[in-house]
Amino acid sequence: MFNPYEHHQAKIIFISRQTDNIKLFRFEFTRPIPGWKFSYKPGQFVELSLPNFGESPFAPCGDARKNYLELCVRKTGKLTAQLHQMRIGDKVGLRGAYGNGVWPLAKYDFKTQKNLLIVAGGLGFVPLRSLILDKNNWLGQETKVQIFYGARQPNEMLFRHEYEQWKKQNIQVELTVDRECSGWKGNVGLVPTLFDKHEVWQNSIAFICGPPVMYRPILDKLKKLGFVDEDIYLSLERRMHCGFGVCQHCAVGSYYTCKDGPIFSWAQLKDIPGAI
Amino acid sequence: MDQTRLEKFIAYLQKSDWSIFGPVFTTAKIEELSPFLAAHQPSPIKKTGQILIKKISKAIELNLDGQLPFYSFKRFFIPEQETLFEYQKNKVIAKKQASKIALIGLNILDLRAVNLYDQVFEKDAYYQTRRRNMLLVGYSLTPETASNIFEHQYEEDILEHLPFDIFLACYNAPRKGAWPPRGFTPSPRSLRGSPPKAELSSGLNLRGGLGELKVFSGSIKGQRILEHFGYQTKLGSSRAERGYKDYTHIQFSGPVKEGQLDERMARLRDRLKNHPNPKIWEELGKICIECGKCTLVCPTCFCFRIDDLPALAESSGARQRCWDSCYYQEFSEVSGSEKPGLGKPKFLSTTAERLHFWYYHKFARIPDEFNFMGCVGCGRCAKVCPVGIDIGEVLKKIENS
Ligand SMILES: Cc1cc2nc3c(=O)[nH]c(=O)nc-3n(C[C@H](O)[C@H](O)[C@H](O)COP(=O)(O)OP(=O)(O)OC[C@H]3O[C@@H](n4cnc5c(N)ncnc54)[C@H](O)[C@@H]3O)c2cc1C
Ligand code: FES
Repeated sequence: MFNPYEHHQAKIIFISRQTDNIKLFRFEFTRPIPGWKFSYKPGQFVELSLPNFGESPFAPCGDARKNYLELCVRKTGKLTAQLHQMRIGDKVGLRGAYGNGVWPLAKYDFKTQKNLLIVAGGLGFVPLRSLILDKNNWLGQETKVQIFYGARQPNEMLFRHEYEQWKKQNIQVELTVDRECSGWKGNVGLVPTLFDKHEVWQNSIAFICGPPVMYRPILDKLKKLGFVDEDIYLSLERRMHCGFGVCQHCAVGSYYTCKDGPIFSWAQLKDIPGAI
Repeated sequence: MDQTRLEKFIAYLQKSDWSIFGPVFTTAKIEELSPFLAAHQPSPIKKTGQILIKKISKAIELNLDGQLPFYSFKRFFIPEQETLFEYQKNKVIAKKQASKIALIGLNILDLRAVNLYDQVFEKDAYYQTRRRNMLLVGYSLTPETASNIFEHQYEEDILEHLPFDIFLACYNAPRKGAWPPRGFTPSPRSLRGSPPKAELSSGLNLRGGLGELKVFSGSIKGQRILEHFGYQTKLGSSRAERGYKDYTHIQFSGPVKEGQLDERMARLRDRLKNHPNPKIWEELGKICIECGKCTLVCPTCFCFRIDDLPALAESSGARQRCWDSCYYQEFSEVSGSEKPGLGKPKFLSTTAERLHFWYYHKFARIPDEFNFMGCVGCGRCAKVCPVGIDIGEVLKKIENS
């Protein structure tokens, strides 16, 4: 019987430092398993395992079509500190992918005009990069994509070297930093302030991912712009152990963040106290 | 089946390598059952003894008088602590196979909990291996209403919704001093008012054939074992009669009666989902001390955590799964900077929220997932609560809110 707790061995093949405490790791599965192919949809997550440090959930941030996996990890506790010490060639365990990912996008017909607004803060940008890199798979040719992204300071902006390339693909990228910084000429203020500066395309759906504190103010902005609850998606963070809807750690109302999420529509969550 | 046959049956199971566990009246310490439980539940031990589920060697040790064992049978299905695998560096070493365990005397409340385990751990390889190597022998006497808050009664037509291999139904009005002997005391209803002690002492003599247990099989495994038991013990006189035939098969047809809505479940779920009343939880939050004892004794609490247990050699150890409790602060904690007085960021940040989480799981989330309640109504939680929170009362409050 398939054992969902068993992970597959992968090795680090590339590391790049993103910020002081965030590194991007690229992994490759070491022993291909016959009949099994790792695959994921943008927005899903994997459980990364290190012997003696347990497991933690991370959302892949790379291009889902590639045969390697990219994770962008912030050093914040035991497992992540250990991972940050590791080098190319070191091995980890991976299992997954879990969760729904951006499948809600599949229900929209992007040919008949739906646009996408991505609102992200800090590390929340991670899973959305996967979506951007694989956008032709999920969105229409004509879909207009806007990104509102905020970080504490310019050098904490993830994937900042890729923005120019994205702009060339007709993606509008609007950035903000929390506080004034020398050398920064762009917008200063929290992410919601971007809504006061830039117009949002009509007929859009919105994906929000970031620290929970930013959800309320952004929801207010979106509601003012006339977004219906069904067209607003947010990614939830919860403590996780199993990753597939059994251990109960990540339950929110009658949903499991790991299994029914991590991406939920606001319509699903709005009546659940404590969801955001 | 009568007492003598039951004795033989148990002897037969032992010969066939089954370890047999059942409710026993004992003064045993919890430590004997499990160091994990002992660490979490110090000395609930009564001097006069209590019903615990222990390994038995003879039928006479069993106590099948309808009293609830202090702990449920949960730990046989979901151990309090189990190794998922061991590892050396990145090499994973699989765990050994489960041994054969027969559980005798599961009452219908505890069997209902098995319905839940079977659903929740449907795809869990560890659970399934264990479950395949288990024999469940149910028993019909139900606890009295004090510890049976939904007043579940034994009726033959509920059997098709309970997951047993063999079920023993006590039918005939038992006669004093004979059947049922020790432990096999009469139905709790006829016992009311008379101290069970007297019954216990009167039944030491084993005289079979006076009362009958009606036998049902609920699985092919159950049938096979009954038939084989008949051959082995040469019950019949002729070869053709030898197999044990005196049982009726009941085909399991799922945990829920088709087309029948459990109204109590529907009402509770509706109140919790559509008419939340935070006052209930705030009030209870003032008295609950988050000891988590209710979650230990609850047959349907199955939350777990996964941890690594390092061994001495470098990067080696065991990945373990053990019971958790949603009353513990750590349950919903995530990484991040600590806030003074509040510790690490968490999603269930108050006692009230954690209490609500527990009730919501049992009376809204499980019904949503499986269409039955996540509470069998055994009242074990109320019995161990040090501050006197009574689930029956809380449910009334939810319904009337
Ligand atoms: C769906 C999802 C996707 C995520 N994606 C990313 C990502 O792409 N990049 C990234 O840097 N972080 C991500 N996180 C957060 C990341 O899982 C935590 O930072 C990480 O678990 C911290 O582990 P630690 O051992 O270093 O911290 P510790 O504080 O030492 O953690 C101890 C324990 O808490 C659990 N835990 C702690 N924080 C979290 C958390 N936030 N979520 C779930 N379990 C937690 C760990 O599994 C571990 O068991 C994601 C979380 C979720 C739920
Ligand atoms: S992580 Fe276990 S239920 Fe979601």
